[in-house]
Amino acid sequence: MAQNLIQAYRQAPWRTQLQWIGLFLLGLVGVVLVAGLWLSITAQATSAGVEIQNLEYEREDIQREIADLKTQYAYLTSAAVMEARAEAMGYVTADMTQAVYVIVPGYIGRQPEILALPITLEVEESNIIKPSYTQSLWDILFRARLWQGTTQP
Amino acid sequence: MKLPALSRFTIVGAILALMAALIPVQMVRIQTNVDARDKSDWFDQNFGYEERTLLPERGNIYDRWGNLLAGNREVYEIGVALNEVQSPETIARDLAAVLGADYAGVLSAASTEYVKDEIEYIALIDFVDADSVAKLAELQKQYNELPPARRGQENPSLLGLHWTAHLHRSYPENELGSNVIGFVPYLDRSNNSGLYGVEQYYDTMMAGTPLEVVIAVNPTNVQEIPNVQPGDSLILTIDREIQSKMETIIDAAVADTGSDSGTIIVMNPETGEILAMATTPRLNINEYWNYGEIFTGTTPFNRAISQTIEPGSTFKVITMAAALDSGAVVPSDTYYDDGWEEVGGINIHNWDYTIWNDQDMTGCMRHSINTCLVWIAKQMGPTRFYEYLLRFGIGHRTNVDLYGEQTWPLSLPGDPDWYQVNLGTNAFGQGLAVTPIQLITAISAVANDGTMMAPHILQAYIRNGRQYDVEPMPIGSPISAETAHTLSEMLAVSLEEEASKALVEGYRISGKTGTADIPEGDGWSEYTNASFIGWGPTDDPKFIVYVWLEKPKSDRWGSVLAAPVFQQAVEQLVVLMDLPPDSVRLQLK
Repeated sequence: MAQNLIQAYRQAPWRTQLQWIGLFLLGLVGVVLVAGLWLSITAQATSAGVEIQNLEYEREDIQREIADLKTQYAYLTSAAVMEARAEAMGYVTADMTQAVYVIVPGYIGRQPEILALPITLEVEESNIIKPSYTQSLWDILFRARLWQGTTQP
Repeated sequence: MKLPALSRFTIVGAILALMAALIPVQMVRIQTNVDARDKSDWFDQNFGYEERTLLPERGNIYDRWGNLLAGNREVYEIGVALNEVQSPETIARDLAAVLGADYAGVLSAASTEYVKDEIEYIALIDFVDADSVAKLAELQKQYNELPPARRGQENPSLLGLHWTAHLHRSYPENELGSNVIGFVPYLDRSNNSGLYGVEQYYDTMMAGTPLEVVIAVNPTNVQEIPNVQPGDSLILTIDREIQSKMETIIDAAVADTGSDSGTIIVMNPETGEILAMATTPRLNINEYWNYGEIFTGTTPFNRAISQTIEPGSTFKVITMAAALDSGAVVPSDTYYDDGWEEVGGINIHNWDYTIWNDQDMTGCMRHSINTCLVWIAKQMGPTRFYEYLLRFGIGHRTNVDLYGEQTWPLSLPGDPDWYQVNLGTNAFGQGLAVTPIQLITAISAVANDGTMMAPHILQAYIRNGRQYDVEPMPIGSPISAETAHTLSEMLAVSLEEEASKALVEGYRISGKTGTADIPEGDGWSEYTNASFIGWGPTDDPKFIVYVWLEKPKSDRWGSVLAAPVFQQAVEQLVVLMDLPPDSVRLQLK
């Protein structure tokens, strides 16, 4: 009688199999999700990497261009060019007898040019690329594990 | 026999499970397989990284007001990657049309057979400007947009043609200040070191440090390319406007007097800052390859620091300063000139054989009486006299921060080439030699309360974005402030009584002319070195100017030739330096 009762409430074998298959598929979906996430992050990181490479090359180009433009500007404002332009505009070189000196209270005369930051101002150096762009999933997991290890009693 | 339905489910499930299980197994196998890892490593090593040398931008050179004197221009190297070339004819034709390149040469180079690791890339033309490269880029774009060629036909193509940007040295002011700046022979890209001037003296600072880096090509291994710091930029003490005027003045003086060369140095005696250093000849340093045509023989690049000359009577300032400071004479002492003075058994005459009878020390300077200065040196005695010359730095380099400074050793008592007569001739600036920078540095002590400041051309430098100022540095006090003031006053009176051509209306000036014989072979040249050194305003000197004309042909005297050049220079200086006339300035005190 007892055996019969057990048989009466036993799960149908096909249902058990379906449950196992369902569990397996659930696990598989989980793995696929993680893999998909990993692929997505990796793709984004790679895309950002390409962009960073391009920006670094662009930075080099811009630095060269700045140097070039500075020099071009200097050509346009060189002593000979400026003198010629002034003469073309009707100016003449000042003669010492024509100079008029006016007292300007507080004026301390022409001061030398400051072309860069004085040495007293410190500028903090920083890494441009954040670590999140260079870390692998493994690095993140490993670091998390290390962090757990250090925080657990 | 028919299998039960559940068994088929089991089989399908088992197969699916097995396939699913194989995925991680395969992943692990690939990750741990030795061959696969070796291949991955090999690929990574050969294609995952590239070695690059990051060349820093050479530092700029500015004048004291921030005007750029030396900078960098962007140019391109054009070459062909042989494995990419599709149409050597198109490359040759377009380079010939756009850049004027040799068609046959380019065609031959672009047709070269590609040999891996041996002949992969050939540089065709360098230093191409951006406009020309833009034209080539436009052509390349047009060719890329062409429809595919029909069978048997070929589209024009610039595939394989590459251009790489780089910087080269450029000098916006061309000739201006070239003797101070020097140059970088930029056409030789393997050796970008500076030559002469500050370009060579500060070459290491300006060149910066190249960085050898290994950069990941694989974007999943992205890493930051180090930002190579540019070389240090220099801010010079030179004032572009003053330099320009001094060059104009000295060029005109050389032409007017038929001199072999001319030199003007303008210095601030209070700091040692060199405001202008103009010499002839000069070179357009953008076309440095003309050096050999302009600087023939032993012509120095910068006479102001590299050519030693017998200074003549301008040196009497040093002798008189030494005598007054040592107490050997006082200004009111009288010297009786009978036309000659004996020293070391040799009679020394005045330059024009005039007999000046009684003269005080101001009169001796005013008439530039050689015999008087010989007598003064004798009063001092050789020990004290040469001790003072050494204090003034005679015979030693000033260590001015320009490449190529020369010096002439000073013969001292006891040296095999020193004779008693040297005491007499040295007293009036013959028998010894100095460079213009040595002389102006020594005499600047008289204009600066007895203290010589180190002559220098560097006012500040910029390193890693910060500006570091160079502090003026005293290099000696050969005489007391009192002696300096006394002598300055004597030399101002001397010019005024002489009605010198060096005088500038409204400004009190102290100074001394010089006319030096030039030794030639066993005798003397028929020509002279005409010079003038002066400073002002006498009561508070803001400038000291040295003018030297080498072997003028129109006349031989410093008072006739060099003094007016000094006057012209100072007339420009007082305007450019905002120095009001003494009457105005003294009212402000």
